[in-house]
Amino acid sequence: MDEEVADFALECARGKKVEYAEVRAHSQVQDGLMLRNGVVEAYVSAVDSGFNVRIIAEGGIGFASTNKWTKEEARAVVNVAFKYAKSANRKEKLVFNEEKGVKTKWVVDQKKKIENVPPEERISTLAEVNKALAASKVKIPATMTSCSINLITKYIVNSEGSRISSYVPKIGAFIFITVAEQGKTEQAYEQFGYSGGWEAFSKWKMPEKMVHDAKVLKDVITKAKTVKPGNMDLVCGSEVAGIAAHESCGHPMEADRILGREMSQAGRSFIYKGGPYWLGTRIGSKAVTVVDDPTVEHSYGYYLYDDEGVKARRRFLYKEGLINEFLQNRESAAKLGVKSNGSSRSINYDREAIVRMANTFVLPGELTEEELIEDVKDGVYMKSFTEWNIDDKRFNQRYVGREAYQIENGELTDPVARPVIETTTLKFWTAVDAVSKKVEFDAATCGKGDPSQGVPVYTGGPCLRLRRVFVK
Amino acid sequence: MTDMLSKTEEITKKAKTLGADQVIAKTTVGKYRQVRFSNNQVDITVAWNDYSTDVALAWKKRVVATTIHNFDGVDASIKQLIKLAKISQENPTFGGFAQGSFRYPKGKADRKLEELEKPTEYVFEAIEAAKKEAGGKIDSGGILFTKFEDVYLASSEGPAGVDSRSAIELSIRAFSEREASGHGVECCSTLKDFKPARAGAKAGKIAKLAKGPKVGDEGVYDVIFDPLIHGSLLGVWGGMVSAYSVLVQTSVFVDKLGKRVAPQTITLKDNPAAYSMSNRVFDDEGVPTEMNTFIDHGVLKTYLHNASTAKMFKTKTTGNAGLIYPTPWNIEMEAGEASKDELFANVKRGLYLTNTWYTRFQNSAKGDFSTIPRDGIFMIEKGEVGQSLKDLRLSDNVLTMLGNISAVSKERQHVHWWGEADPPSLAPYILIKNVHMTHSK
Repeated sequence: MDEEVADFALECARGKKVEYAEVRAHSQVQDGLMLRNGVVEAYVSAVDSGFNVRIIAEGGIGFASTNKWTKEEARAVVNVAFKYAKSANRKEKLVFNEEKGVKTKWVVDQKKKIENVPPEERISTLAEVNKALAASKVKIPATMTSCSINLITKYIVNSEGSRISSYVPKIGAFIFITVAEQGKTEQAYEQFGYSGGWEAFSKWKMPEKMVHDAKVLKDVITKAKTVKPGNMDLVCGSEVAGIAAHESCGHPMEADRILGREMSQAGRSFIYKGGPYWLGTRIGSKAVTVVDDPTVEHSYGYYLYDDEGVKARRRFLYKEGLINEFLQNRESAAKLGVKSNGSSRSINYDREAIVRMANTFVLPGELTEEELIEDVKDGVYMKSFTEWNIDDKRFNQRYVGREAYQIENGELTDPVARPVIETTTLKFWTAVDAVSKKVEFDAATCGKGDPSQGVPVYTGGPCLRLRRVFVK
Repeated sequence: MTDMLSKTEEITKKAKTLGADQVIAKTTVGKYRQVRFSNNQVDITVAWNDYSTDVALAWKKRVVATTIHNFDGVDASIKQLIKLAKISQENPTFGGFAQGSFRYPKGKADRKLEELEKPTEYVFEAIEAAKKEAGGKIDSGGILFTKFEDVYLASSEGPAGVDSRSAIELSIRAFSEREASGHGVECCSTLKDFKPARAGAKAGKIAKLAKGPKVGDEGVYDVIFDPLIHGSLLGVWGGMVSAYSVLVQTSVFVDKLGKRVAPQTITLKDNPAAYSMSNRVFDDEGVPTEMNTFIDHGVLKTYLHNASTAKMFKTKTTGNAGLIYPTPWNIEMEAGEASKDELFANVKRGLYLTNTWYTRFQNSAKGDFSTIPRDGIFMIEKGEVGQSLKDLRLSDNVLTMLGNISAVSKERQHVHWWGEADPPSLAPYILIKNVHMTHSK
């Protein structure tokens, strides 16, 4: 990364008749390791580095990027971005909300520096999972394991005087297993993510987690019963609480979606001005508070300043069951007459920053998990999920249980095969009558934007207890 | 052009000199442009210029790869890669990169797609076409995307070549009411065949028909799939034919070679032909691409291979090598004999689905999945498209649905949409019997 070229690009842009100009340089030292059945399929290592120029001129936005670090190229991309901004020919002129320039540097600490971990150790650490699975006595015909390391350096400067440097090491892993028993198969995957150093692996406990999943899948094939469809109580584990928080709270609360900017791809929202749901409308019970918080230390979605240079903070999306605060970037904030709350993210120098979640989770309550369950006479405990999806207005969703158990008179009994809840956002969150006090997180990659930008996030929460919902 | 090929060949030679057993280098000089629009206005216009060389090398069956963005740093990158190979682990199933010396046809890329003079005009043309169909109050959004790539490939195993690849795509979603929308796409490899108004008109037409939707009933329906939603299904089926998907058991086609997986009327091919957005004359190992029939009259004939997976399956590469794994390029379903109108006429009571998103599996080896239709969903009664519906989910199984295809139209459309209908495909309308639909309770 050459900050001088980035500064030069900003000066070039400021020399034109622009309302706003910004240069975001983004360098990533990447390592990707792929194993099939415990054997290294490929090891990919690369450095990707470039910068973009984003300009507002005549009320339109132009964006151009390059991975050539020369002043000549900088001037060229400025010219393209400026030309594109002017060509928008918009009736409604675009502006950003006002922000003060910020000059700062921030980094994420590593206890065990990834840079000092040799490739041999990276491979052997990942291969531990397969060794543990092989010793589990579960028949596992296929596994797919990958690990990605991304050392991210950013440098953001804009025409308002901001100059922000950052360094964030991100490490992620993904494991997919197929279990076969009695001529049938079941599948599961787990994703892990962390902002920080190699100490991530000791926190994740991947081998233990995957062996647990393998045994659960074996039980699903050999022991589980199907649920008798009907209205019953449902206790959702933190993994299910997290996906629901992400899909049916985080996404519909993205202001660009609410304003229609994602209408063609990621869709719109059930929340819109003049509609039945808006700020202050009840969407869940008082037990439900869902936040999005980039400042959770070492989280996969961690950042201190967003990709428009706005300071990050916790956002209360649903607060005690009421729609409370949208996720905003500077463009959406200006349209809605509010301040940005630092939700603008981009995965690389060649992608525009758009409104994104960071770490979305349900805040904890007072009860233990056991206390939640012991008050259920007849129900299902859906600890984790397999298939899930939600419509593009973020209202009709479905979660299919992976690890699930019958609850009878306050006790967990038989495993249940693939219980399904297919319900609306309103019904789901309104049915929650209690949440447990221990929050757990899962790593995920959130998809949005065109071209698609998969950003690292956490989803999470405590256990939720839903009363009398339809489970099949 | 020859200069870039020479530089790419030098990378290959350098890696060999440093001890690599086999090397492939692929340099891409790409220009990508996009206009994003919503609420009938342009939100942002974007240009990406990318210069990169992908390098994959093998040393004693250890496979490593990198991407080089700066030719000045080639020596250091290759040395680092060799070092990495030497401490990586052997992959016993690695069968080597493709060998041979090939001649490639000249790519038919359209240089006009390097830089459109006024890209926003195509957007406005599509928006106006949507308005013409559904009225001036229609609310449209989408993207215009163009790609132009010069690709230079050099392999230590013989293949060396130059290709140019171009594509243009317009995707538009139009809303006539808050919950009434239509989606149209126009996908081409050249500007001369590109008619953005077609996409706009289709989006507008569906949006108009979709007004006043009612919540659909759960049940089992005969369903006509529009080419756009059919493209989503073809993308899933095509991905499952990759030999890699078979190896990791994310495919319903494991152990199905030579077996019937669809009715006799169904033939599916992979074909990165000149018309396709995925046009290319060679794959990432330098093997000439070709049309591969993978389901022939209902029988699974082959998986899609690179040289290494082909060796594992004791067959020949199909020219589907990506940098590491085999991948489908462009899925085609062979046209049927009935017209689209005849398909509709033969449905007494069913559904017409136009688009979908969020296809997710419970078990991709078994094929159980659900997906959420969006944009126009319609009842078909006595052959006529009628009441607009909403809030339905398709919950079924890949093999069951493939087996229940009962009619294929002769009209086909080249479609691609975001990650939802990807890779591109050439899709007819199809009628599938007994499809399970569910909704929220």
